[in-house]
Amino acid sequence: MTAIGPQAQAQVAVPPRTRPLEGGSRLEFVLMHAAFLAIAAFFLAPFVWLFTAAFDAHAQAYIRWPEQLTLDNFVQIFDRYAFATALQNSVFVAVSTMVLTVCVVSLAGYSLSRIEVRHKAWITYAILLLQTMPLSATMVPIYGLARELGLRNSYLGLILIHSAIELPFLVWLMKGFFDSVPRHLEEAAWLDGRTKFRALFEIVLPVARPGIAVAAGLSFLSAWAEVLMVLILVDQQSMKTIPLAFYETFRTAGGYTEVQYGLVAAMGVLYVLPVMAVFFATRRLMVRGLMASTRGL
Amino acid sequence: MAKVEYDNVWRQFVGQERAAVAGLTLDIADGEFLVLLGPSGCGKTTALRMLAGLEHPDRGDIRVDGRSVVGLEPKDRDVALVFQSYALYPHMSVRDNIRYPLRVRGLPSADQERRVTRAAELLRIEHLLPRRPGQLSGGEQQRVALARAIVREPRVYLMDEPLSNLDAKLRTHTRTELKALQKQLGVTTIFVTHDQAEAMTMADRIAVLDAGHLQQLGAPDDVYQHPANLFVAQFIGSPPMNVLAAQRDDGVLVVAGGWRMPIPKLRDAGAATLTVGLRPEAIFLANDGYPAEVLVSEPLGSEVIVNVKLGDALVKVRTGPDVRPQAGDRVGLRADPAGVRVFDRDTGVALA
Repeated sequence: MTAIGPQAQAQVAVPPRTRPLEGGSRLEFVLMHAAFLAIAAFFLAPFVWLFTAAFDAHAQAYIRWPEQLTLDNFVQIFDRYAFATALQNSVFVAVSTMVLTVCVVSLAGYSLSRIEVRHKAWITYAILLLQTMPLSATMVPIYGLARELGLRNSYLGLILIHSAIELPFLVWLMKGFFDSVPRHLEEAAWLDGRTKFRALFEIVLPVARPGIAVAAGLSFLSAWAEVLMVLILVDQQSMKTIPLAFYETFRTAGGYTEVQYGLVAAMGVLYVLPVMAVFFATRRLMVRGLMASTRGL
Repeated sequence: MAKVEYDNVWRQFVGQERAAVAGLTLDIADGEFLVLLGPSGCGKTTALRMLAGLEHPDRGDIRVDGRSVVGLEPKDRDVALVFQSYALYPHMSVRDNIRYPLRVRGLPSADQERRVTRAAELLRIEHLLPRRPGQLSGGEQQRVALARAIVREPRVYLMDEPLSNLDAKLRTHTRTELKALQKQLGVTTIFVTHDQAEAMTMADRIAVLDAGHLQQLGAPDDVYQHPANLFVAQFIGSPPMNVLAAQRDDGVLVVAGGWRMPIPKLRDAGAATLTVGLRPEAIFLANDGYPAEVLVSEPLGSEVIVNVKLGDALVKVRTGPDVRPQAGDRVGLRADPAGVRVFDRDTGVALA
């Protein structure tokens, strides 16, 4: 038998683990995985219902394999319920909210992070406290305000209000991200000859990119899912967003509400898909940003 | 290349009890390597940042080549700062990092390339140019930071403890390299550190600061041999100067209750309570010297530090490598009269 040199010895693979866990018993292994499966099933169940009922001609309120597969639900929501308008409006409002919010919270977060003021901690808390104001409490004043300013049934009104909803939290979040960018970086850029504004763009923002991704994602989602404010601000068909379209499929025969599950599910599928697509595309950046943002908590 | 003047500069931060920088007045000659030395919190970094434009003085003036820079933005001052953390842009390659100041100033591409290559050659980092800062070791990052400062050919180099994050061996090696580089480039350099050995080896002159006040300004030899006060005496030198209580008795100094030595000419002849400072190399072991008991010997290879008990005080004596008294031995101490430093006991000011 030839002697094995040290390099070759290191390359000999460590035998793969044949036992599932070192410290626990087989029973622990099974129970743990059973628990995970149960939790996963619990969270995935609504999606399973969504994607089966959307293609079911006679969809029910429980999960079942469709007795009659059809695409008619999708056709109907576009024909009878003007879903195209709702989809268009939702996309436009959500994307615009995302852009506006990101611009505003980046600048505000940067200022809050860099400013040197004696009671900065209290100011930060005060801003965060604003986020705790429940929307239902501000509903009526916002209605009045929107009506006075002519913001009802307009894109501007929707975008402004949707942006304002998440603003305090996102400003606080961005401040946290900018705090983690060392001041020396922008100081180095200033000494290299950049103005403060351009240094922010070229040096600080790229380093705070995960934070911006989180702010963009959260503001998009918040606008995409907003129901209450849309109910207050919109009563014209041309301006409705998807949540409002959902609502419409409920209001059938007066006094007796019939839920057309197939239509609801079809709308749901189209509602959920863009979000899933965006998250899938940015998942690494988002997870990095979310992990970083909870580090100090 | 420029001369720099600090003229009675004051800076106090909001909520702090004392000023960070108090009445700093300092003249730095063209091409000089000046070290700002002092413990943490003494104001040396603040003074440096005020010159860079990152802090604003409350009072006083700072001039470069005779013209005040206090109203100018950092980008207009033509100074380069090497940060302790290097502050390299993490999302750019090393080449782009070094090129950044030139790109900002709108230099033509060819010039940019030429200067970047030259700076990289000078610091021997050509092979690192395509990499990102995150892939470099501490020493390599530091050289990149230096290259970025050099490439601009500024009037003044500022360095804020750039060697503090390096391991000990690399630090001593880089010290010599930096000093040689500065001599080669001939640019006025202000270097901040808390390490007195760094200051001694690198500086043309040292400015010692404590609690915002300038304690002494002078060449390393000067500051070492003739410290202006007790603080400077004890801050510079390793092991630190031995400090002992003393009395005057009829033309002689009586140190630590019994050791007699000739008294040098004092500036203030009336002072009664004195403190005497003796560097470890100014004390000799002699058979007929003042008796003391050895606590421990510390052999360092080229020399031995003998720790002796003198009354209540601990005295360190520097001797040759062959002298190795054991703990408990009794030895005799003799002081070199040229090495006796006398300070006022209350104010700490040097009297001789």
